[in-house]
Amino acid sequence: MDQLELNPRIIAAVSRAHLKSAREVLCVSGSDLQRVTGLSSSDVQQLLIAAATSCRRHHPIAALVLHRKFDAGLRLSVGCPVLNQLLRGGLLVGGVTELSGESGAGKTQLALQLCLSVQYPTQYGGLHSGAVYICTEDSFPIKRLQQLITDQSLLRSDVPPSLISSLQFSDRIYIEHVADLDSLQVCLSRRVPLLLTRGLVRLLVVDSLAALFRSEFQAADWLERSKQLLTFSSTLHHLSSRFTTPVLCINQVSSFFLTVVGSFSCADVRGESQRMLHVYTSYCDQKQKHLYLHYVQ
Amino acid sequence: MQRSVSSLSLSPSVKVKLVNAGFQFTADLLHVKPLQLSKETSLSQLEALEVLQAVRGETGGGDNGAGAGGGGGGASSSLTALELLQKEEELRSIVTFSSQLDAALGGGLPVGKTTEICGAPGVGKTQLCLQLAVDVQVPQCFGGVGGQVVYIDTEGSFLLQRVVDIATAAVQHCSLLVEDDEQQVAMATFTVETILSNTFLVRCHDYVELLAELHLLPDFLSNHPKVRLLVIDSVAFPFRQHFDDLSQRTRLLNGLAQQLISMATSHKIAVLMTNQMTTRLRGGQSQQVPALGESWGHAATIRLLLHWAGPQRLANVFKSPNHMGATVRYQITSEGFRDVDQSEQPPSKRARKHTVQMAAAREPSET
Repeated sequence: MDQLELNPRIIAAVSRAHLKSAREVLCVSGSDLQRVTGLSSSDVQQLLIAAATSCRRHHPIAALVLHRKFDAGLRLSVGCPVLNQLLRGGLLVGGVTELSGESGAGKTQLALQLCLSVQYPTQYGGLHSGAVYICTEDSFPIKRLQQLITDQSLLRSDVPPSLISSLQFSDRIYIEHVADLDSLQVCLSRRVPLLLTRGLVRLLVVDSLAALFRSEFQAADWLERSKQLLTFSSTLHHLSSRFTTPVLCINQVSSFFLTVVGSFSCADVRGESQRMLHVYTSYCDQKQKHLYLHYVQ
Repeated sequence: MQRSVSSLSLSPSVKVKLVNAGFQFTADLLHVKPLQLSKETSLSQLEALEVLQAVRGETGGGDNGAGAGGGGGGASSSLTALELLQKEEELRSIVTFSSQLDAALGGGLPVGKTTEICGAPGVGKTQLCLQLAVDVQVPQCFGGVGGQVVYIDTEGSFLLQRVVDIATAAVQHCSLLVEDDEQQVAMATFTVETILSNTFLVRCHDYVELLAELHLLPDFLSNHPKVRLLVIDSVAFPFRQHFDDLSQRTRLLNGLAQQLISMATSHKIAVLMTNQMTTRLRGGQSQQVPALGESWGHAATIRLLLHWAGPQRLANVFKSPNHMGATVRYQITSEGFRDVDQSEQPPSKRARKHTVQMAAAREPSET
């Protein structure tokens, strides 16, 4: 508070009102500030402007300046050219992407593939870093991951084999098991930021959020549940923008016939400000499985 | 015209002392000496001096107190309704590339007013914002406003790639319309690069940063008089997190709304905000209503609701002081926010949709 360039009289009035930081000052509405500090409205204006200047991170910049920066349109390749084209290059690096679908549709497969593709250099669509995979339900599909690693030279024919064999894929995938919301909170506030700060990972996968919320809340607690969901959504967004790291959230879809306040409305509440990728499984005369990808941006 | 003492920009305790001592109007204070004033009201000498300065400042028609948004002129100046009408007519609306939506809004997005867009995730709110951010820059000889835009992004949904797409399509559209030399010259200043250079982007990560940015905007707008559009995408996202005290949130939102309205009128800009939807449970029924509560419903002058009707996207103008509620179909193409080709749709279907949407859009509630 002392660092603001203000008349000492104003600063004294603010400390008398027990407002300790610029952020706290901004959180009080204009007329409340006047009442609490006893300052005139022009003084309050000055105070607000000084507080705002210290809280502001960047000045407005022209979009052209951003456009000219090197990593403006950076994306994480999904490892499949068809999907990459649909996603205009791949997952957005500065945002949270939600992947939802019925069980067996292929969500975990896609997530595993992303954990591998992030490790390639940027010229091959990767981010030259590892991934952290948070499992909430079943144990991590380690056998399937090993299969994918062994077959990388076949699956990624665009990358030279010498590069593929030089990468130690399994070393750079960090697996976290969380059984409830509290441990997820601990994981996201301590262990994940540590990995991100050290540059060891540049992809965060949460598989799946729906499982935790379904088991801990009854249908009647939906208000508490949406609050928690919004909190987690905000945590994920902050992590993503602070470390310019793509976050992939896997969600589950209940059967379309049941109007249950269950995991489907998870997508409803939390679907905002995320890119949503729905993976549908459709059965044509019970024999063929078609995978439909519906991209909403 | 008597001006009461309580309307001066002084601290409340000083005003109380003045009123208790019998000084109701500024006229009473005009011929009082500071020493005399401080004796009668038990104010300190410094405070008495400040009071008299404020009084002299007001009667001179000077600064009206910073809270009034720099409206120009003291308290005694006022405008007639006719003058206001003339001023309003000088302000052109921002034309979108969807003629249906323009018609529903009475010419386009109005400048000098606040507009809110509500809708479910993925329905096209950000797309419409990006489209308008490009449309505001269309040169005046093409029917546009030729202004700059400040885009406040709270969700991280401002994608440069998309803006480049929309800008390219807009430039192409205008270059096909060129008829005379003036327009030819204007096209030289209307390119993708100039569009990007006239878009000022701010990224806010939480509500405190958003509030800070809005306190500093009037200054920015005074330094950049060509700005004609302010987009906040979205207002709901930062305010739906971390608020245990909902009444504080309502107070902050009310303050925000007033700031936006005063910015819109004093700097002659159009303010565009996006809002999210929330589910309201009533009995056993759930209904989608705009988020942020009922009092927020009064913040915007015009409200647009974007929603799905099966595979179609519809835009419904459900609050507007000058226009009838209307519903139009639109689509999002690779070029941006556009009309749907009307040739396939029979007129009777449109009328029915209109009444269904009006009923569904009523009654927002607290969340």
